[in-house]
Amino acid sequence: MKNEQGHHKTGKKYGMVIDLDKCTGCGACMVACMAENNVPFKEDETNKLDNIMWMRVYRMSNGKPFPDADICYIPRPCMHCEAKHGHSPCVSVCPATATDYSHETGIVSQIYTRCFGCRYCMAACPYHARYFNWWDPVWPEGMKNYLSPDVSPRMRGVVEKCSFCFHRYQLAKDKALTAGHREIEESAYQTACTQACPAGAITFGDLDNPKHAVYKLKHDPRAFRLLERLGTNPKVYYVTDREWVRWMADNYQDQEQKAKG
Amino acid sequence: MKIDRRGFLSLGVGAAAGIVVTPLPWKLTDDLSIWTQNWPWTPVPADGEKAYAKSVCSLCPGGCGISVRKVEDRAIKIEGIEGHPVNDGGICILGLSGLQTLYGPTRVKQPLMRSGNRGEGRWQKVDWDTALAEITKRLAEIRKAGQAHTVACVAGSDQGTVPQLLKRFLAAYGSSNFIRTPSIRDSYELAFKTMQGSEASAGFDLFNSDFVLSFGSGVIEGWGSPVYMFRANSELRGKGKIVQIEPRLSNTAAKSDKWVPINPGTEAVLALGLAHEIIKESLYNKEFVEKYAAGFESWEDAKGQKQKGFKDWVLENYWPASVANITGVKPAVIHELAVSFAKASKPVALCGRGQGNTPVSLFESMAIHALNALVGNINQKGGISAVPFADYINWPKAPADAVAEAGLQQPRIDGAQSDPFASRYLLNRVVNAAESGKPYALQALLVWEADPIYTLSGSAAVKAAFDKIPFVVSFSSHMNETAQYADLILPDHFYLERYQDIPTPLGMAVPSISLSRPVVKPQFDTKYTGDVLIQVAKGIGGNLAEAMPWKDYEQCLKETLGDHWDKLNAKGMLIAEQYQPPAWDKAFKTASGKFEFCALTAIGETVSIEGDKESYPLTLIPYDSMRLANGFIGDPPFVIKTVSDRILKKKDIFVEINPETAKQYGLADGKSAVLETPRGSARVRVNVFEGIVPGVIAMPRGLGHKAYDKFLAGKGLNVNEFIGSVEDPVSGLDAAWGIRAKLTIA
Amino acid sequence: MDDSALIPKGVKRCPFRQFALWIGIAGIVLLWGVYAMFLCWFKGLNQTNMNDAYGFALWIWADLAVIAVGGGAFFSGFLRYLVGKDELKNIINYAVLIGFICYSSALLILAIDVGQPLRAWFIFWHANVHSMLTEVAFCLSCYFAVLTIEYIPLILENRQINKVPFFHNLAHNMHEIMAIFAATGAFLSFFHQGSLGGVAGVLFGRPFSYREGVLIWPWAFFLFTWSAAAYGPCFTILITKITEVITGKKLVKDNVIELLAKISGWMIITYTAAKLIDTIYWAAVTAPSMGFTIDHFFGTSIYGIWILGAELILGGIAPGLILISEKGRKSPFGLWVAVIFGVIGVSLNRWVMVLQTMAVPVLPFEEWYLYIPSWQEVATTVLPVAYGVILIMISYRYMPIFPQEQELNPID
Ligand SMILES: Nc1nc2c(c(=O)[nH]1)N[C@H]1C(S)=C(S)[C@@H](COP(=O)(O)OP(=O)(O)OC[C@H]3O[C@@H](n4cnc5c(=O)[nH]c(N)nc54)[C@H](O)[C@@H]3O)O[C@H]1N2
Ligand SMILES: Nc1nc2c(c(=O)[nH]1)N[C@H]1C(S)=C(S)[C@@H](COP(=O)(O)OP(=O)(O)OC[C@H]3O[C@@H](n4cnc5c(=O)[nH]c(N)nc54)[C@H](O)[C@@H]3O)O[C@H]1N2
Ligand code: SF4
Ligand code: SF4
Ligand code: SF4
Ligand code: SF4
Ligand code: SF4
Ligand SMILES: [Mo]
Repeated sequence: MKNEQGHHKTGKKYGMVIDLDKCTGCGACMVACMAENNVPFKEDETNKLDNIMWMRVYRMSNGKPFPDADICYIPRPCMHCEAKHGHSPCVSVCPATATDYSHETGIVSQIYTRCFGCRYCMAACPYHARYFNWWDPVWPEGMKNYLSPDVSPRMRGVVEKCSFCFHRYQLAKDKALTAGHREIEESAYQTACTQACPAGAITFGDLDNPKHAVYKLKHDPRAFRLLERLGTNPKVYYVTDREWVRWMADNYQDQEQKAKG
Repeated sequence: MKIDRRGFLSLGVGAAAGIVVTPLPWKLTDDLSIWTQNWPWTPVPADGEKAYAKSVCSLCPGGCGISVRKVEDRAIKIEGIEGHPVNDGGICILGLSGLQTLYGPTRVKQPLMRSGNRGEGRWQKVDWDTALAEITKRLAEIRKAGQAHTVACVAGSDQGTVPQLLKRFLAAYGSSNFIRTPSIRDSYELAFKTMQGSEASAGFDLFNSDFVLSFGSGVIEGWGSPVYMFRANSELRGKGKIVQIEPRLSNTAAKSDKWVPINPGTEAVLALGLAHEIIKESLYNKEFVEKYAAGFESWEDAKGQKQKGFKDWVLENYWPASVANITGVKPAVIHELAVSFAKASKPVALCGRGQGNTPVSLFESMAIHALNALVGNINQKGGISAVPFADYINWPKAPADAVAEAGLQQPRIDGAQSDPFASRYLLNRVVNAAESGKPYALQALLVWEADPIYTLSGSAAVKAAFDKIPFVVSFSSHMNETAQYADLILPDHFYLERYQDIPTPLGMAVPSISLSRPVVKPQFDTKYTGDVLIQVAKGIGGNLAEAMPWKDYEQCLKETLGDHWDKLNAKGMLIAEQYQPPAWDKAFKTASGKFEFCALTAIGETVSIEGDKESYPLTLIPYDSMRLANGFIGDPPFVIKTVSDRILKKKDIFVEINPETAKQYGLADGKSAVLETPRGSARVRVNVFEGIVPGVIAMPRGLGHKAYDKFLAGKGLNVNEFIGSVEDPVSGLDAAWGIRAKLTIA
Repeated sequence: MDDSALIPKGVKRCPFRQFALWIGIAGIVLLWGVYAMFLCWFKGLNQTNMNDAYGFALWIWADLAVIAVGGGAFFSGFLRYLVGKDELKNIINYAVLIGFICYSSALLILAIDVGQPLRAWFIFWHANVHSMLTEVAFCLSCYFAVLTIEYIPLILENRQINKVPFFHNLAHNMHEIMAIFAATGAFLSFFHQGSLGGVAGVLFGRPFSYREGVLIWPWAFFLFTWSAAAYGPCFTILITKITEVITGKKLVKDNVIELLAKISGWMIITYTAAKLIDTIYWAAVTAPSMGFTIDHFFGTSIYGIWILGAELILGGIAPGLILISEKGRKSPFGLWVAVIFGVIGVSLNRWVMVLQTMAVPVLPFEEWYLYIPSWQEVATTVLPVAYGVILIMISYRYMPIFPQEQELNPID
């Protein structure tokens, strides 16, 4: 497989830590991602089951009555899972190898031109991180002007998802090579959502590199991952002080909460 | 023909091999699949030389530094500038979507003259010469008829060269009717003026506070300079506390350390209830109150009459029990809040609901400001300060001829600035004045970076008032509601196509100037509003031409900025680094030279809203969200895409209601209902939400556009249409914070 | 028109006019489906009511269901050629025909269901061996080829075609080696039936369907093969019985049907027992370890616990008990009830494995969504039914499908 890219291999594990106490639910990350990655839009986007949003900010509520009600926003990019066999749930199921787990970066890629739209990967992804192009992408008059050449617009009938802004990795890699560095600096490769977040809630970097901020953050005792017990081994961590959020994030039932804490 | 087994097998193998060898089916299959990978209707963005252009975003008064990625002459992405004092790399959802407006179909691409009825959307495309000739002719006629004072201008800001040029143009023309769109700025400016005697904008040093007491201010909902406030909010995590007082569990409330639900409109009463506890417990800053404040203790005036000081007034009138009765906040909570606020080392109290796009009553802004005074945080680290307006515009006074003199003698159309407690600008009053023709009938209105038809409360009345104005000119670079309702549109360059000076962003504690620089060349046949003014002035001639001596706007800007020009071009933002707010003994320009508590006790009560309780048992309040732009620019497609389906579903808007109240009125989650207020009724859907005070319903601001494109127009309702303006009798500002309402099963 | 020359010797068929009328009616339904199919191809899958929460929907259910009930072909073949149940030669032709219809339908549906049908062959070209769907694609296509090979000799046995010596010999030779194909088919079927179960069973992100298992195969893999073997014959019997009702003739002798019914009954009983154990283990161990309780999975009235009950009791225990008892399977009513319940039961199982798998909210802040297919989806799903009816009509009219027909319906 293409995974063991011998001479390219450096074995990074890029990931994110998102501070839910800082996250304001403003949605800038969603738009940063759409603007960076040429994500299309339709006239009516209120059906959230057919709208493409690589980064989606969900809203959780603690279910308590007034005035004890509480809400928390939870931004959800692709988790770039690395489950058993070094595969994510979605990579192992794709019959056409149109999505791939890179052992160089830990990034789960998506090859739009290879995908034939069977949507098995969507069924496999518990995070709803994968989106199908139900429609041809259409940009209104003039708006094609802002499309970025770094990311190719997708055709109808294929699946797309967050790539951890892989083109930014490639640019950073090229830059590092040209400059004669072996290592890509932490600041040289940052995703569009991380960069945009006005609250500074997102931290991105190599989870295995002790010099990167995410390394320390993921070891925070308040850190957790979404649906950890499914065994998807996501590379996106969250931090919060709010206990109910941590419990809920992994579907801990009341009795389990009592037993555990 | 007889075939044996051998024949049969060789036939089978032969056929199979034959098919495989023929290239045709394989070639076709392959070609077809390649075709699907390159559908001609899926765009392939052109590549080219990449570059970054730096500028400042002016889609809101936030003043964020932006870096725009370009490929050849196309702008492809807007990012925040790292290390920028306002936003340090961050950027808001609207700022990120700027390119959709720049290139999108809502742009006004050339001057337009109305050809159908007002608001009908039929336009005649004209060239600039024709358009300029038209406006020059119309304004010259009005002036000639001795009606110069009947021309007014509405602008989104009163700072910077363009608003100042507008103001100067009017002055030379003969009108004092320059009006800024209302916001919490008005309330703060007035509170500073009355209690501190200073003409200044409000600055907050939230980065250094340790206790932020917010009376409904959406610190993470776009209040002040949005990204700056977001950053402050993040910075406060773990270091300080935020307490949010608000009828609804807004995002700010949810992220705060404590949410205090309150009956809407009673914030001022709660503030004074807190003052009561602080004074009773003697927790106020004695040094400040005793040495630098006036009117705290009761006193005898010159006539020997006993005057009640703030202290006695508060102690007598704002007992926790009665405050609790009004506000719905329990006495124990009031006490606890007061104590923790006063005991914090750098506490600060904020006012202005949501994004602060509407003013509050002067009583409310003063009551909350009094809390800041009580804890002595004025002009202190982590506190609030009066930031002087930037002073780089030093043009000589505009020359006035006889017509101008006569015009300037006339009262302002809005009666603003008439007494010490009256606001500087009162756009809400223009509506009545235009409608009634009193004090005089408006003959022309110029609108720059404002959308009063959409943003003012009581939209129907605003439209009716506009109908009475014979000549409405919009400078909008995109087709918003007011542009749609104008007679002439003279589109300005969009913010990414022009130079523009931007003074201190709202809420920043240090004076600064930023400079927007063109990122791309103008995409359409648009023109600087500054150039329009200069050319019209030249066209009318006389003192107007003298007042506008510049060749063009860019020259005007360059000369005005003088030494700053080069520095601003290099750095984008200049900050008065050395600036320190004056010490208490020099801070107050009031008659007493002190902070004046007595200003508050001299004025009235809270402002109540329109509608009677019997017919309208509920209270409707608007709420703001970062995902719903609600100013002079509406949501671009990217932003509206992020709006929750609990706010907008297809074209239906949701109103939030407490489950208890919903049950009382038989309303079920997601179902349709009819919303009625004294201002109108419409069908809505119900969002049953635990995070709202019973009896209150909330509707988002920013939907219900009639202008713009199919991505925004016709979606939801404009809450401003359902809320009537309510004038604060003291300041004259529209201080409506809601309206009485009824919600019934549809 | 007179087509008597094409009709097999010694059997009676309805007048051509009547035949043509019914073909026409089925043809209209077929055209409706074809129209919907072209809409989906040219305008894309936005013509359906599928969405990101229901990426697999009516079609994939139809696919799984027709393949399950089409399992009659491989299992009868397996019993006849490998186990040596010789009586079954009297129903094997029909089983093969039904299987052929089911599998060709499944492939057609897949060709509509994917977003990029013109590159659907990437599944072979860029095959990912880890994917259950790859396994399905390969085995399904191979098995379809086998079914085609099994079906061809039937065509060749048409009276006129068989007169051509080449076709006659070809048919003869093919018959001779049919056992090899049947064996290959059975082998392939064990796998692809299983991999269809694996498709859902491996989804460890979907605790509703996820099952532990052996090596790479989750228990769902084996349960699917088993259930196809168990219920496939039910479907063969059901279609045979329907054909008999429509033609008004007895076409297969009772002992043949009863044998198949009995085997099916025991398969159903054992399958249901296995399924019960599987369900209990899943509910008690697998799901809770992933953070889910059983009531979480049955959240709405549509996706209520009744589904599980119906599947196990009405679709499992009931038909199983009827078919294993001699009295049950010998009673015409009992047989009808059992095969109908059986077919509904296995279809329900496939529905659940596709639709409920998607519907169960996994993220804690998700809700239950409902899905109602669009008319385009319904039309394209009805299309194979119309196509199957037409193929059966033509095959029955012109080919000697039922070896016992002549004997059971002597023409005077
Ligand atoms: N797993 C995996 N394997 C791959 C690929 C993959 O994607 N994945 N890609 C394949 C491809 S496309 C390629 S081109 C190959 C490249 O594979 P290699 O040809 O092995 O490429 P490098 O390791 O980059 O370079 C070879 C050596 O040349 C040395 N060198 C540099 N300049 C000179 C010079 O002037 N003279 C001499 N004598 N030596 C010099 C370098 O120091 C280095 O040690 O790898 C192939 N192998
Ligand atoms: N930094 C660095 N740069 C290099 C080199 C290096 O060693 N280091 N080596 C140079 C050399 S020798 C070469 S040959 C080039 C190789 O350069 P590229 O061809 O750019 O390299 P890859 O990363 O191997 O493949 C590109 C992408 O194609 C996707 N892909 C795989 N299969 C398909 C498919 O069927 N269809 C489509 N559309 N996409 C597919 C992969 O997932 C991957 O994202 O790189 C050159 N540049
Ligand atoms: S941009 Fe940042 S603060 Fe805003 S929603 Fe995304 S993560 Fe949260
Ligand atoms: S989040 Fe979903 S799409 Fe992303 S790697 Fe995990 S399973 Fe795949
Ligand atoms: S939809 Fe595309 S990426 Fe997903 S499994 Fe199918 S072929 Fe692979
Ligand atoms: S990492 Fe990049 S692709 Fe992923 S959500 Fe963020 S911006 Fe989008
Ligand atoms: S906060 Fe205001 S200035 Fe900053 S990016 Fe957003 S719209 Fe622009
Ligand atoms: Mo290469």
